[in-house]
Amino acid sequence: MPLDYVNLSIGDVVSCREFVLDLDTVSEYVAAVGDRSNVFEPESVSPMVPPMAIGALSLRGVLDDLGIPSGTLHAGQEMEFLDSVLVGETLKCRATIAQNSVRRGVRLVGVKMDVVRGARTIVMSAKSMIMVPA
Amino acid sequence: MTEIGTELAPIIREITQIQITAYAGAAGDFNPIHLDEKFAKTTQFGGTIAHGMMIAGLVSELIATSHKRTWPESGKLKLRFKAPVRPGDIVTAHAKVKQIRGTELTYSVGVRNHKDEDVIIGDATVAVVVE
Repeated sequence: MPLDYVNLSIGDVVSCREFVLDLDTVSEYVAAVGDRSNVFEPESVSPMVPPMAIGALSLRGVLDDLGIPSGTLHAGQEMEFLDSVLVGETLKCRATIAQNSVRRGVRLVGVKMDVVRGARTIVMSAKSMIMVPA
Repeated sequence: MTEIGTELAPIIREITQIQITAYAGAAGDFNPIHLDEKFAKTTQFGGTIAHGMMIAGLVSELIATSHKRTWPESGKLKLRFKAPVRPGDIVTAHAKVKQIRGTELTYSVGVRNHKDEDVIIGDATVAVVVE
């Protein structure tokens, strides 16, 4: 069910999901974006996940939980990569509201995401700014 | 030797609707603004547009190509999406060193379309391995 954006407050947890970045998922992502950086080497013993794949695939669950309305736009993105992630790792993404304001008829929502390995190792921290039709 | 003003070799790509649709499936982002031409025609953009994160991936690819492992282990990216990228656009991801502080390099990064309009602007910071 879509969230009621009007009543979202800073600090509200909007998503908390565990996910596995398996070889098929990462390969599909890399093929879609056409990444040729060679960070991801599927034939290696422990292939590394391209950092933007961690961001995009973490955002996947958050988008599901946010139930964003049609016409929502991505206005800005901050990401901090703190550790490399290998294919097959289980990660947890916790998303909280960092900003919720209306400016010139457009609702600007900031969503902070922390992607964690195990109990406390943050592998990526991010903030997405989205513009939701008010 | 990296100096302020050093530029990385740009990445130039044509963006297609097939690629946008593939990205939607891979990233699980099925917002109709990216996929449904009929819906997208009713919006301010007048047609489908690419996902911002898909285009931002070019910036990450650009930095990763030069910095390999240090990018996934220490990279910071701050981007603003300035304009939409449409199917058929040819985009160029670029990066130029703007600051060197200790072992950290900060690039001014961005993506331009074939009309030389900025579609993404921002900064990328990465640690440099000292040999």
